[in-house]
Amino acid sequence: MRYILPLFILLILPSVAQADWKEQFEKEFLTRPWAGVQVQRNVCIECHSSEMMKPEDRDIPRKWETSWHSQNGISCHNCHGGDPNDAENAMSPQRGYVGTPKPAQIPEFCGKCHAGILKNFLESGHGKALKTSGKGPNCVTCHGSHTVQKASIQIINEPLCTKCHSYGRVKEMRQALLLTENRMNEIEKSLKELKTEGVFTEEEDKSLFSTQAEFRILFHTEDVSLVKKRTDEFAHKLSSIQAKIQKTFEEIKFRKNFSAFLMMIFAGMAIGFGLLAKTPKE
Amino acid sequence: MWAKIKNWLEIRIGLTELIQTQLTEYRVPKNINLFYTLGFVALVFFVLQVVTGFFLLFYYIPHSETAFRSVQEIMSTVPYGWLVRQMHVVGSTLMFVCVFLHFIAVFFMGGYKKPRELTWVVGTFMFFVTIVFCLSGYLLPWSQMSYWATTIATTMPTAFPYIGDMVGNLMKGSPQVSGLTLNRFFALHVTLLPLILVILIGLHLFLVRRIGISSPPFGRAEEAERPWKKYHHVSHPDGHPFYPDFVLKEVVMLMIFFALMFFIISFLPTLLLPEESNIAADPFKTPAHIKPEWYFLAPYQMLKIIPNKFLGISLQIILSLLFILWPFLDTKEEVNILKRRRLLAFFVLGVFLWVVFTIWGKVS
Repeated sequence: MRYILPLFILLILPSVAQADWKEQFEKEFLTRPWAGVQVQRNVCIECHSSEMMKPEDRDIPRKWETSWHSQNGISCHNCHGGDPNDAENAMSPQRGYVGTPKPAQIPEFCGKCHAGILKNFLESGHGKALKTSGKGPNCVTCHGSHTVQKASIQIINEPLCTKCHSYGRVKEMRQALLLTENRMNEIEKSLKELKTEGVFTEEEDKSLFSTQAEFRILFHTEDVSLVKKRTDEFAHKLSSIQAKIQKTFEEIKFRKNFSAFLMMIFAGMAIGFGLLAKTPKE
Repeated sequence: MWAKIKNWLEIRIGLTELIQTQLTEYRVPKNINLFYTLGFVALVFFVLQVVTGFFLLFYYIPHSETAFRSVQEIMSTVPYGWLVRQMHVVGSTLMFVCVFLHFIAVFFMGGYKKPRELTWVVGTFMFFVTIVFCLSGYLLPWSQMSYWATTIATTMPTAFPYIGDMVGNLMKGSPQVSGLTLNRFFALHVTLLPLILVILIGLHLFLVRRIGISSPPFGRAEEAERPWKKYHHVSHPDGHPFYPDFVLKEVVMLMIFFALMFFIISFLPTLLLPEESNIAADPFKTPAHIKPEWYFLAPYQMLKIIPNKFLGISLQIILSLLFILWPFLDTKEEVNILKRRRLLAFFVLGVFLWVVFTIWGKVS
């Protein structure tokens, strides 16, 4: 025990001399990304969260944080351009800053990424009305802007659509979409379940994503007959994804049963050898 | 045929005499208990790691671009790849648990005392090598979980001033965990560490057999030869034969651990491979809640709550040194821990704190 005291003196005393206590510790150690706090400088968010901003604009970062874009790593500069790392040039056109688009420009603004939808939308009644009179609906009318959520069939609803026109044709379109949308939701749920079982579902995720995207692009044409005509094609694609998922569920069941069988064998052997060990020897 | 082989070996290596001296006539203490079998179980689990690791190497590609994908292929398309990987993953944790319990048992039964100090010290080195084994293996699947857990583990040494950053960079090979870190960890995991561990296991077993198995200090008279003045083999002439009596006990414990391993694989398959282990590593996306591996949670939490980095790391070094050198610090003759209240309190407190820090680290 006589070695412990010198050891303590040797190692503990310099720590007092070091004396960088709580603040520095927190600064250097706990605020690193691995401590759970994401350190990512973004001057757009910094400015828009500050007191110098108008109250209606100050709320934008909070709204964006709740969005589907935020969840998928789409940040301010991905839509508005500019440089999020340089406060002085953040809003410089030379750095690609385009600011807030006018209503008629919104389809092209969103269409930078959602190219397939843009084409169908511009050819639709909605798109044509927007382009000819400037009064038609744009993407934001239905999907919102900074709070944009994952698209679902719930967006097509009577209160929203009847702001501009009657619900008759919309209802027909909604019914044409419903079956396929429900199946896609079911598949999504199954994939989530597989993920919690520890299964890698990248291939199925990609298949579902591309089918969903293709189907929803179709909706933006507002052509009910086209949607009905191609529903079988999508049903076939979804069936093949569902078959794969079903096979994976069966595989999980087999794995569980197989390892449970091995467990029983070893448990039985433990009991057997245990009894053998207890048997008196000559 | 068998008789011929036996005779062939008998002439050359004296098989009968070898079996007699090493197995049937080799005696273990009469009051030996199941806790004495944990070392053997840990050894078998190490062999299991070697065997399953060997098969995993058929399909694993150690590169940051391909590692994640290759592990997922092992889990989904390679026939029974899922079983081999799960046995490797769950087996490594159970090996660590065995080693940990073995230490607790040896400490509790005073097995580290003279003349077995060296056996303890070699055991502590094996413990640290096992930790490095687990740490290096954890990164290899290159998932979000493994990437960020390794980021934490490799940042912990930087708490040490002056040389801390150098140690961290030496481990990582770059400022952040990268493909270079993966290469280093892979090389360590499959070449150097197995070699070191095999040498240490050999040395440990040599010491156990050379000195003789210690006996539990409870319910019997203390080993006669104290104080220990010169070398002699500690034999137990009135004890049970090593084979079949003690070997059967070892096999029972081994079967229990194997059953436990398959229980976890069957009913808790995501215990060690949760959802995050199926997401490829992304250095630009820090998950909201990242933790080191469970066996690093206690030191991690300790570093977090002590508001001086150097003090935190110093305490950990002191605790590690205490752990390694304990037989030289506790020189009292009394072996029975139940007769030493202060040591018993120290032991219980140590285990309790480790459990508390681990749980705290997990939930905080």
